[in-house]
Order: sequence, then structure tokens, then C-alpha cells
Amino acid sequence: MSAVFKKEIRTYFTTMSGYVFLGFFVLINAYFFSRFNVGEGSPDYSGTLTYTFSMFLILIPVLTMRLFAEEVRQKTDQLLYTSPISIWKIVFGKFFAAASLFLFGTVIIALFPIILNYYGDVNFIQTFGCFLGYFLLGASLIAVGLFISVLTDNQIIAAVGTFAAVFFILMMDSVIMSMPVDTLSSTVFTVLVISLISFILYNSTKNIVISGAFFGVCLVAVSVLYFLDDLIFEGIIVRVLNWFSVLNHFESFYMGIFKLSDVVYYISFIYIFLYITINTIEKRRWR
Amino acid sequence: MIEVKNLTKRYGKNTAVDNISFVVNDGEIVGFLGPNGAGKTTTMNMMTGYIAATGGDVNINGFDILKEPEKAKKQIGYLPDTPPLYGDMRVYEYLDFVCDIKDIPRKERKAMLDEIYETVKIKDVRKRIIKNLSKGYRQRVGLAQALVGFPDALILDEPTVGLDPKQIMEMRDVIKELGQRHTVILSSHILHEVSAVCDKLIIIDNGKIVVQKRTDEFENMSSEVFNIRVKASKTKDEMMEIFSGFSPVFDGIKEEGTFDFSIYAKDGYNDRREEIFRICAGKDIPVLMFKPVIFSLEDLFLKVINGEYAEESDSLALDDNKSEEVFEFDKKGDN
Repeated sequence: MSAVFKKEIRTYFTTMSGYVFLGFFVLINAYFFSRFNVGEGSPDYSGTLTYTFSMFLILIPVLTMRLFAEEVRQKTDQLLYTSPISIWKIVFGKFFAAASLFLFGTVIIALFPIILNYYGDVNFIQTFGCFLGYFLLGASLIAVGLFISVLTDNQIIAAVGTFAAVFFILMMDSVIMSMPVDTLSSTVFTVLVISLISFILYNSTKNIVISGAFFGVCLVAVSVLYFLDDLIFEGIIVRVLNWFSVLNHFESFYMGIFKLSDVVYYISFIYIFLYITINTIEKRRWR
Repeated sequence: MIEVKNLTKRYGKNTAVDNISFVVNDGEIVGFLGPNGAGKTTTMNMMTGYIAATGGDVNINGFDILKEPEKAKKQIGYLPDTPPLYGDMRVYEYLDFVCDIKDIPRKERKAMLDEIYETVKIKDVRKRIIKNLSKGYRQRVGLAQALVGFPDALILDEPTVGLDPKQIMEMRDVIKELGQRHTVILSSHILHEVSAVCDKLIIIDNGKIVVQKRTDEFENMSSEVFNIRVKASKTKDEMMEIFSGFSPVFDGIKEEGTFDFSIYAKDGYNDRREEIFRICAGKDIPVLMFKPVIFSLEDLFLKVINGEYAEESDSLALDDNKSEEVFEFDKKGDN
């Protein structure tokens, strides 16, 4: 893992992308810092941090678009996959390299609240809790970008795809608000989710019996529940989407509450995306 | 030892590699030969674990490439058709990275890399950025990458493609040298290139093995004098009648007043050249040309891939049915 990690870090700084990322990351954060904290004399840095989320749209693709797309284009993936190193080491190595660069930037901007402390009272525990959430949020988006990078051999497509995905994730909350909450559409939604899971199951096992049985059992369960007590389904769309809303889990950090469940959420979110990345690579070899 | 058993790769309905089996013993240099698109690269990609096979096994020194990939991959150095190079790195950085992913202990690296630099002759470019190197040097850096860790088996996919003639000769020498210490499998679509270095040739076409034989057996076959071309200044009918017992083949009139024809030089094991000479001398026919037609390996290769020549692909013993086979082969020859 350290081999790939070292190589990626080195590549960030031999190509321009590492400098571009760090430069813009610090510049944008510094702008918001000077505008809201220095300019308006506010000691609350956590609020400033949340303003900078929109820069993820550009900066996450800068970090992740190259990771796998470039390997495939240069055909160096052949070197990686024929070397005595397992795929999870390659994927985790790349993820940790990108996440480290993000962490590095975060550590630099962590100087701002320290500077601020000379001129006012900064709530350090809340602010650094917020930094932890900020890092976890960024790392989650990096995991998404890494996954998108493995889907294509074209950096531009990877970048645009990651942009769209980050955009969707950031917009998630307003999407959720517009979702219907009545029982019928919620039930339909549940059935759709079950079909999707069955399809994924079929796609990965190629076993029509297991996936068909899964689909049938779930469908029966849903219809029984629907006729017994259809209120169970009320608002399920919002509940499910809320769980997927990466931004939603940042809230507790922002409010100065440390919830272990949110940390676990981010780590599982990252793990799931790295896992499907590994699976996608494995599967491509079998196709 | 590399054992490939019933290896198959299908893409949808399209079969790229169809039930290939062969064995490469330690210390052998084996040439993998076939026209473009025959399935050479796919086979090699499966042997190195880059892609998974639809069916069949690959066993490298006793390790199955799919069941124990890391152990099996440790035994292999692979140079794909495009050398897998990071353009932004310097040569020594790149090789250092390859040492990292192949898990070479730090202590051994320097001596090993020095030896590799020496073998593939890239010492003078080791500080240069890879994307600025010429094609020949890139190919060599690619080969250097395959040599890292000095694996038992080297698998080289078209190692000389795109090189100039001098570089090809150099590459050939390097491969020959490597063959003394490693098991080498290399692919090519150019026959004389592999016949010069390989102990054994495997010719594949349309995903199937057409022939596999030791190179010297190929050469024996191809250096046989199969045909004699005779030019004589007599009329066609006269000559055809005199040699009717030899089933001559008319080759056309290439010179005014003369006439060319071909005769089988052999009747089983008997050389007929003397006989032909005596007949001509007895009849006082001036022979203007008496030329053996030798099949080159290229002819043989072309025949093989055109499907004019087929045999049990795993029989390496030619001797038992030699005469018959040669005769068969000859009848379909370039008359």
C-alpha cells in the first residue's frame, strides 16, 4: 500500500495537480476567512468552513480525476495488476494519498482559528470538531471521485462525472425537501429500491434463483406490510435519502456535538465506495 | 515451469483464445507466434493475471494465477505490448517504484538495479524523464521493469516492435542473454526474429495453437530441398514427356526458347537430383539452370496460418512420420 501511496503523493507534486489543489484550497479558505472572520470580526470559524463547501465541486475532481483514468490511459494498470500486490492495496493507497493531500490542506487552514484566537475567543473544541467533520466530508467525496475515476480512461470525463456527483451530493438536502412523503409513492419507492438491490445482486452473482427469491420475498413482505399498516412507509423516501446525505451528517459537527454515529457513517460511506471501486476493477478483469 | 491448460477467453460470443495448452520448462525460450489478432496478447494477459480466463488454468512454478495471484505474480516479469511507463517519472524513480510494488528488500535494490541497468543498457538515461525518451529506450525501460526482482519467468509481448534494426539486434542479444537465467516467453508476428532466439515455437492463429515444435525441427523441415527448378532449352511437350514419371509442373517460359519446370527432388527419402541430371545428360538436353527451391521459415509460417498445414499440435516428435509429412506439405507447396 505504501508503494502506491508514495507514488501518488510524488505524482501530485511532479504534475501540477497537487500544487493547484493546495493553492486554491488555501486561497479560497483564506478569502472566506478574511471576509467573514477578519472583515466582520466574527470568532466563529465553523460557520466560515461551511461556506467553502462549494469549492469541492472543482477541487475534488482535481484530486481524483487522474487516479485511475490516467493509469488506464498510460496502460500502467497492466503493471499494477500484474504485480504481486493486491487490488485493495492499490485502491487504498490511492485513496489515502488523495485524502492525505486534503488533510494537509486542512491542517494549513487550521492555522486560521489559531490566529483568530489572538483577537477573540475561539471555541476550539467546537472548531476542531468541525475540522474533523470537514475532513471526513472531503474524504467521502474523494472516495466518490476515486470510484468515478475507475469507470473511465478519460480524465476529463472523470472530472465532469465527479463534478456532477459532488454537485448532486451538495444539493441532496434541497432534493430531499422536494420529495413526496405520502404512503403510496413511498411504497413504490421501496419496491424500486428492492428491484435495484435484486438487480445488483443478480449482476454480481449471476444467479437468477437467489436474486429472484430475494426479490420475491421482499416484495411479499412489502405488500403484507402495506396492507397491515401502510403508515410504516410514510416518509421513507426522505428517511432513506437523508441517510445518504453526506452533508446532513456534518450538522452535528457544526453544532459542536461529537456523535460517534456520524464518524462511523462517514467511514462506512468511504469504505463502501472503495469497496465498489475494488469490485469494479475485479469485475472488469473477468469480463 | 509454466503450465497452461485449456486456456480459453470469450468476449460475448467472440472467442479470442480457444482451449490453448502448452508447457514451458525451466530455462526455455519459447516464441509465441501468430498474425496480429491471433490471441497472443490475450493469452499473455491471462498468463500474467491481468485479465481472468473464461476457462482453463495457468500454473506458474506450481502457483495458480487466479487462486494464489500474489505468489504466482512474484514469479513473473511482464512486458506488455505497450511498456507500462509513467511518463512523468525519471527512469530511476520508476524502477524504484517497481521495486516497491514488487516488494524488493531495500538492501538488495542497488546491486540488482545496477545489474539491470547493465543488462538492458540504460545506465546513461537513468536520470531522464521517461516521456522524453525515444521509443527504443522506453522499450528497454519496460524490459528493465520486467526484470526487477529477477523473476523466474519473463513474459515479453512483442519486445522488438517499433525498434530500428540495430535496436532489434540488441534486444535479441539481451533476450538471448536473459534466456540463460530465466524462462522466457516472447511473442511476435515476425518469424525470423523469434526463430533466432527461441528453443521452441508455438504458432497460434484464431486463438488456437496450430503447431508447436522445437525450433531446430522447424529449421530441419524448412531447409529440406523439396523442389528442383529446371530450365532447359527444349520444347515444353518434349520435356514433359521425358519427365512424365516425375510429375513435373510447368513454371512458364521466362526466357525466349527455354522452358522452366519444377520436379519433386525427393521420392520419399531418395534424392532424385542425380537421376534427373543423368536423364538430361543421356538425352543431350542442355540444362541452363538447376536450382533447389528451399522453403524459408516464412513460407512455412504463412502456410501454417493459412491453414494449409495442420498436425497434432502437441506432438513434438517429427521423426516417425517425417517422410509422409514432408511429402504432404510439399504437394501443397509453392508450385
